[in-house]
Amino acid sequence: MRAHSQSLDRRSFLKRSAAALGAAAFVPVRVAQSAPDAKDAPAFRFAYISDSHLYAKDLNDRFARALMRAVDDVNNLDPQPDFVFYGGDLAQLGQAHELELGAQILKNLKAPLKIMVGEHDWYLDMGAKWRELYGEPTYSFDHKGVHFVVLMSVVEADFWTKRGLTPMQRMLTVAGLDNGVQSSFTVGAEQRAWLQKDLEKLPNNAPLIVFSHSPLYKLYKNWNFWTDDADEVQAILKRFERVVVIHGHTHQILTNRIGNIHFHGLLSTAWPWPYAPQGMPELTIQMSRPDPFNPNDGCGDGEVLVHADGLVDKVYSLWNRNPITVAKGYTASGGKECVPPKPNRPSY
Amino acid sequence: MSRRQVLRVPVGRVALGAALLAVALLRPTVSQGAEGAAVPKGEHGAAKMDFQLQELAKLVPGADVSQVPAGFDPMIWQAFVPKDNEPNEKRVALGRKLYFDTRLSKDGTMACATCHDVTRGFTDQRKVSEGIKAQLGQRNAPTVLNTALLETVFLDGRSPTLDHQAKQPIVNPIEMGMPDGEAAAKAIAGDADYQKAFQEAYGRPVNYEDIGRAIGAFERTLVFIASPFRRFLEGDKAAISTDARAGWDLFNGKARCVSCHHMNLSNPLGTDNRFHNIGVSARHQDFEALAGKAQKLLKEDPSEKKLDELALSTPMSELGRFMVTKNRSDIGSFRTSMLLNTAITPPYMHDGSLPTLWDVMDHYNKGGEASLFLDGGMEPLALTEAEIGQVVAFLFSLTDQRFATENARQFAVQKAAASRVRPFRDLQIANRRKLAFEDRIKNPVK
Amino acid sequence: MSSDTKRAIAIVACVVVAGVLVGCLERPKQAQAPAAIAADHMAQWKQRNPDQANRWVEEERERHKIQPPADNSPLLKAEQGKSHVYGNYSERDVLMWGRETEKLVVEGSRIFHSADRLGGTIGVSCDMCHPDAANTHPETYPKFQAQMGRVALLRDMINWCIQHPVRGKALAPDSPEMRAVEAYILAQRKGIALDYGKH
Repeated sequence: MRAHSQSLDRRSFLKRSAAALGAAAFVPVRVAQSAPDAKDAPAFRFAYISDSHLYAKDLNDRFARALMRAVDDVNNLDPQPDFVFYGGDLAQLGQAHELELGAQILKNLKAPLKIMVGEHDWYLDMGAKWRELYGEPTYSFDHKGVHFVVLMSVVEADFWTKRGLTPMQRMLTVAGLDNGVQSSFTVGAEQRAWLQKDLEKLPNNAPLIVFSHSPLYKLYKNWNFWTDDADEVQAILKRFERVVVIHGHTHQILTNRIGNIHFHGLLSTAWPWPYAPQGMPELTIQMSRPDPFNPNDGCGDGEVLVHADGLVDKVYSLWNRNPITVAKGYTASGGKECVPPKPNRPSY
Repeated sequence: MSRRQVLRVPVGRVALGAALLAVALLRPTVSQGAEGAAVPKGEHGAAKMDFQLQELAKLVPGADVSQVPAGFDPMIWQAFVPKDNEPNEKRVALGRKLYFDTRLSKDGTMACATCHDVTRGFTDQRKVSEGIKAQLGQRNAPTVLNTALLETVFLDGRSPTLDHQAKQPIVNPIEMGMPDGEAAAKAIAGDADYQKAFQEAYGRPVNYEDIGRAIGAFERTLVFIASPFRRFLEGDKAAISTDARAGWDLFNGKARCVSCHHMNLSNPLGTDNRFHNIGVSARHQDFEALAGKAQKLLKEDPSEKKLDELALSTPMSELGRFMVTKNRSDIGSFRTSMLLNTAITPPYMHDGSLPTLWDVMDHYNKGGEASLFLDGGMEPLALTEAEIGQVVAFLFSLTDQRFATENARQFAVQKAAASRVRPFRDLQIANRRKLAFEDRIKNPVK
Repeated sequence: MSSDTKRAIAIVACVVVAGVLVGCLERPKQAQAPAAIAADHMAQWKQRNPDQANRWVEEERERHKIQPPADNSPLLKAEQGKSHVYGNYSERDVLMWGRETEKLVVEGSRIFHSADRLGGTIGVSCDMCHPDAANTHPETYPKFQAQMGRVALLRDMINWCIQHPVRGKALAPDSPEMRAVEAYILAQRKGIALDYGKH
């Protein structure tokens, strides 16, 4: 601000300028939507990016640009997250050049990357390229007292051999969300056994976060918003005081609570899915129906603020919208406290 | 002719010539104006107030101000007239007088018409505006033409009506500089003509609120939508050039302008009245650091007072609508510009950073500038140079006929400038050979 | 008759006989030709449109849930119909209506689910934002879309989506592809009340 008349002191200057800004028309609004108060501050945070569905850059520039935008968002977080979690479906058709493009873009992340596989990454070559880039899809790790498990929850029973499908035909079948020829997702007996063993030594009050690509419950079978053996998986998790499951695949704000398990969905960078016509969890307060005239609407990335007990505040950083936080208090209270804002354009 | 006749010099004419010469030398800068005639300049580069009033009279010869202006949907029009300020001749006349009255500024050099000059597209055709004591502001002055149908006023929409907006520059220290509204009223309250005019218009003595109302009432009469394009929409296919017609198709199609520049009979202005970050602020080096700083500071202290404090510090002005709503989604957002008469209101964007409409097209063609807050509707368009020319031709067809000379002059000036240099063009990004966020992620700030 | 004349007559006779013989040989070939040509054309067409010859309707329905058309069998029961010239519907009518309607809807589903058939250039098909045509709301058209500058009908919105999110060329409003896609979208919303103008 340039030098102004010396007769102004700071207070009257502010008053005048407030008038100049038309501050009378103004209503203060909280900037950040975070609910937790000081004594319940989160122990640490990680960021997430998910469901980028990449094609080659010169085939589809929009999807590649969106993933780059998400990487840019995460790189500019302050404070930086402890790590970045990628929720699966890096490629659209599982092709080597798509996975490599994704890997290249993700290499630009400043924070360390933890990654999970989705069905779009897998069903062209049954995970050959994925393993080459990222190793085994199922694994676990510990971080600041929390046990993290990463599952491959998109195991499908063989539907392709008897039909004589080529690998690309198999992939295209799986790639269609509403394609009924494919099988339902499962975790499968092998992984369930692995999970049981992995969690063996943990006490019942251990903070535990499980990542899966598909939601580990039964929302809508037609779109594989579904895990066939969800009941068996939930049974393995039942003994814990609280478990958080974070999943991709659904490309939307999605919240659920089944017993001791708190479920949170991840946003996609590529496109938003509509809400399922049946089976929607009561706890979910939907995001406003995306506007087709903004290619980024309904998409984004976000953060997960992890509390010492393992419960989380799930931050949905939607592009061109204010972020929405589904705080731990919301799922913990069964939807009575810390209620996120309602949509203005409901799905219908 | 005899030598005697040639040698006989008419004294009267010489004297007249000398007098004219003296006047020409003594009066302030004269320039070739839009109409070809000389435009006498006053303070701060604006045309002299009485000259402006003359020009205005030619442009708006007189109409029944209580009727909805020709071409506007009556139901829509009614919705925009404030209940406490129904237009009538007295109010409009008072507003017109005030609009050109330099007594409303602290040093008596400025009126509304200084930055919203009748001879310069009702703006000042400068990058940013100049206030008293030659102070420069942060933002480009929008035109007053057709503002009656805007939902909010100011580029960040902080004023709900024209009546409210008209009061603000009067008390802004870097614009007209009055200490407060009372001082503004006091500056003209002694004038008997004003006392009478205020009583007749509003039934009250001279006061600051009614100053705003009257100016608002006058501004509402500045309806200039009689463009060649309008005639084209009404059925005269030959009203605009083939290029402009192709431009209109691109506007609604490949160039995607219509997504934010809504243009229809209920809303003919060419703006959706919403706020978008189209990546102009991103070219300011410190923009994102500012955004981060503002968010952090407001998180700690979300009061109105804190916001005003921040808004006053020069750079925060770049955060646009955010300074009004504090929505993260509004960071760096400004209201979609009105397109009517845009050709005669350069330079463009909230900071006046784009000199010509070709520069504007280059900016959109590459999808703006990447930033954390970019509107998702900004995408590379892959328009060819010919297509850009067609959209520009269309934009030039949106100028009211009464400004045809200035429109033609602008076309020549802008085209010449654009032929010399196109600093905002990036064909790699426009044609999607390089992607907008690539550079940013390859060189992240450590 | 002189020997030259005889020779001339003989030559002419041979030529005539040869001509007749050739004609006889040609005739069966020409009589054969239309059938052969038709068969040839059919084979070529089948090669260009392999799925027309196959179970494409059933295959598409296996992939995607498609709402069936209305059940018209009640029309067979009413008493007056039997004595109408035009209203005397038969089971074959009911079957024909159903089958032909369904085929257009199923064709629409095929196009809806394929970037290539839509003419998209970036690998995006409609089902990526609209699985099972969810979120298409055909019952809300006509409605004014400011971003399209006019009151949109369903087909205008389809074309907008093809041009922008799908990045293809707009379809002619009465092109077979547009009619099929529109049919599919309308079919999926069967039973929902009309509510034009809803945003």
